[in-house]
Amino acid sequence: MGTLAPAELRALARMLDDLDYYELLEAPRGASGAAIRDAYHAASRRFHPDACRHLDPEVRASIERIAKRVTEAYSVLRDPRRRRLYDERIASGCAERRLQLVESAAVATQRSREEREGRTPQGRRFFAQAVSDLARGETASAIRNLQMALTFEPGNPVFEERLVALRARR
Amino acid sequence: MAEIAIGIDLGTSNSCVAAVESDAPRVLPNAYGEGVTASVVAFGDDGRITVGNAARANVIHAPKTTVYSAKRLIGRYFFSEEVKKARAICSYDIVEGPNHGVRIRIRENDYSLPEISAMILRELKGIAEAQLGQAITKAVVTVPAYFNDNQRQATRDACRIAGLDALRILNEPTAAALAYGFGRELHQKVAVYDLGGGTFDISVLEIGKDVFEVLSTCGDTFLGGDDFDDRLIDLLADEFAAQHGVNPREDPFALEKLKVAAESAKKGLSVDDEVEIRIPDVALDSEGKGLSIGRTLGIGEYATLVNDLIQRTFKVCDEAMQQAGVVNRDLAGVILVGGPTRLPLIRHAVRDYFQLEPRTDVNPDEVVAMGAALHAASLLAPEQKAYLLDVTPLSLKIGVAGGLAETVIERNTPVPIDQTRTFTTFQDFQESVRIRVYQGESRHAAENELLGEFVFGGLARARRGETRIEVTFEINSDGIVHVTARDPATDQKASTQIKLSSGLSEEEIEQIIARGHAERVETALPGTDPSVRPGEAAAAFAARFGGPEDTPAADPPTAPESIGSLAGIGDEVEDVATLDEVAIAGSSEGEAVAAPDASLASLETGEIEVLPDELPDLEEILPLAPHEDPLSASHEPSASGRFEIELDPGDSAPIALDDRELFSAAGGDLGAEPESGEATPADPARKG
Ligand SMILES: Nc1ncnc2c1ncn2[C@@H]1O[C@H](COP(=O)(O)OP(=O)(O)OP(=O)(O)O)[C@@H](O)[C@H]1O
Ligand SMILES: [Mg+2]
Repeated sequence: MGTLAPAELRALARMLDDLDYYELLEAPRGASGAAIRDAYHAASRRFHPDACRHLDPEVRASIERIAKRVTEAYSVLRDPRRRRLYDERIASGCAERRLQLVESAAVATQRSREEREGRTPQGRRFFAQAVSDLARGETASAIRNLQMALTFEPGNPVFEERLVALRARR
Repeated sequence: MAEIAIGIDLGTSNSCVAAVESDAPRVLPNAYGEGVTASVVAFGDDGRITVGNAARANVIHAPKTTVYSAKRLIGRYFFSEEVKKARAICSYDIVEGPNHGVRIRIRENDYSLPEISAMILRELKGIAEAQLGQAITKAVVTVPAYFNDNQRQATRDACRIAGLDALRILNEPTAAALAYGFGRELHQKVAVYDLGGGTFDISVLEIGKDVFEVLSTCGDTFLGGDDFDDRLIDLLADEFAAQHGVNPREDPFALEKLKVAAESAKKGLSVDDEVEIRIPDVALDSEGKGLSIGRTLGIGEYATLVNDLIQRTFKVCDEAMQQAGVVNRDLAGVILVGGPTRLPLIRHAVRDYFQLEPRTDVNPDEVVAMGAALHAASLLAPEQKAYLLDVTPLSLKIGVAGGLAETVIERNTPVPIDQTRTFTTFQDFQESVRIRVYQGESRHAAENELLGEFVFGGLARARRGETRIEVTFEINSDGIVHVTARDPATDQKASTQIKLSSGLSEEEIEQIIARGHAERVETALPGTDPSVRPGEAAAAFAARFGGPEDTPAADPPTAPESIGSLAGIGDEVEDVATLDEVAIAGSSEGEAVAAPDASLASLETGEIEVLPDELPDLEEILPLAPHEDPLSASHEPSASGRFEIELDPGDSAPIALDDRELFSAAGGDLGAEPESGEATPADPARKG
């Protein structure tokens, strides 16, 4: 079974909750998507449940625990939105090393929608107006409304991006 | 002699068995020298059971006692659409069994689907034993990637009944990709297009040397070559009825004749552009003279008959590509699997769709069995030579208030994986909770496949909302679902492998095995019978009933009353119904996560019972958002003590399926989530 001895596997299984996903996958914080995938493949070679059939049940249980956590780590880190959320959590000193997948998906969705449509009522209103201006082909008015939206929500990336695109079009 | 584990492709129409000898996989031919064996079981008048191509030839003479396409029915509920459809087109009798299961009635005997499949498996095992000259007890058995947990479990049961220890239930496209890339040290993305007799699967994989990572899989378990045949049967039957005023579909013999003719016409069209269809004596006219069918069928006409079926496969491909986050030009190869992919019609359509010439160096009938054999050998070898990383094809969900289902694990999430959610009781002094587990993509619970339900009892006495119940959902590498509930206050734990609700009970399986031993002589091999308790089955058994490592020190006092016993929970259902409302606890970070394997007392398993007619009343679980707390704000219990949930279609964030933008590579159904504030689709505060 790979490179780890049973005692090490047991120890790793015990400390799983203290490891963050990067540590578990042995990938650097800033690893690219491809590097995360390679790290996942490498970890899977070490901890695949298929590769431990001959081992005793206790060691097998350890490997299975590790394998599940490896999968979870990959599921979070390969998805940019989940990964961003996870990075923020870890950076904020949160002790919890796991991110439940559905939770992160929902938070990410919520957030991307907020960014798309605005976090504040006014931001949303002006953004919506800008969208309908555009539908009528009124670019100048759309730009004005986007600028208004941005005064309520400075730095909203979606608003900014749209504004840049519109200005370029003119 | 070194032990050999075989690979079995248990198909809807045809099955194939292979094994690795001196490092190369080889298809093991049957006694007739054929590589594939028809998945047909014929029950002779003399009590003899025949499997394979001989049985298939029997269909026309004995349509009532010849069972084919059993795979379409395995792991299904009797009331499902699929079973309804099969009853309309199959000539043998499909009847309802216990727990809304399906049975096949042959004369006065009823057979479960796992029993039928086991007969085929036993035949394949026998073929392998004859070819390899040794007893075989271990196998890797493939299933369509899109099979749900019920279907996988039923397939596992079939293996046990057949005396085979299923080392692994492997997805067919994954097996095909393994056969294609094994030992070749490839670094590329490939698609596997698998159109079989009854199912269509598409998987997108990334091969990284010895790692075969499934990026996504999508499918349709009711789309295959048989459907092509049905189209032609309909055409021929309608023409015949119009001409002679007799509907040949009403006569099982005539129907079988049409079926055979339709299939051979289709096969003919994989070689020629035009075929002759001649069916003598379809029916008799008023004078007792035979009426026959005779016509030619051109490839163009056939194409119009089946075009929408082919297009349906590409809809599924669209989904798979999108879920995998790949586009055509990322793919280095397209592997074709399944008999119908021999049709030039389909090859061309696939080429046009993927903008890539499909591989022709892979035998579409044998590649899945070869991959299974490679994996079987790899599992017995001291060093793994290939690592398969698969995904779950369907979202795993839990029933919540208002008849909705909330996602716990999205489809196309890699496995094995576990996820833990925390729930709370919803009534004062509630003693038990009932959790319904589903698989599927609809947010309406009833539109998903019910895997089973799970009653967790013996809760500490507490006011509503005070008790916490941690539920851990696990999907293992076989794609099989396991659910564990834990009460952190009492440290009690109940665990159940979500057991096929309509499927066989442990006792039934044992009975069938025992009966089989009494009847069977031909393949029983001394000293090697694993059916008593093979390793895998024992593990499942242990997981389900509390294995040796977590045997309870003492029986938890409340368990028997609050949790359904294995004998069935019929009587207790009523009691539980009034008590079982649970809500998802508003857990802030850190709270929700349990150490799922803390050593805990094991409670007796909740038997899973399907009550399709009573579903709505029993499953009220309410997701609760911690920040907005819609519960206290706007959801007062109604007089009955249950919530009425209104749907707000305008704010449909939790249904990501229609909102393509919400998909990511790892996307899927972004279910309602308690922690996010999006949890309550009905939160009136969010309206307007
Ligand atoms: N040469 C051919 N041309 C067209 N269709 C064919 C040909 N040979 C077989 N078929 C069709 O292929 C289907 C069976 O395919 P296959 O054996 O791959 O399915 P299976 O593995 O049994 O099913 P599944 O994989 O769905 O469980 C049947 O519908 C059969 O009529
Ligand atoms: Mg097949």
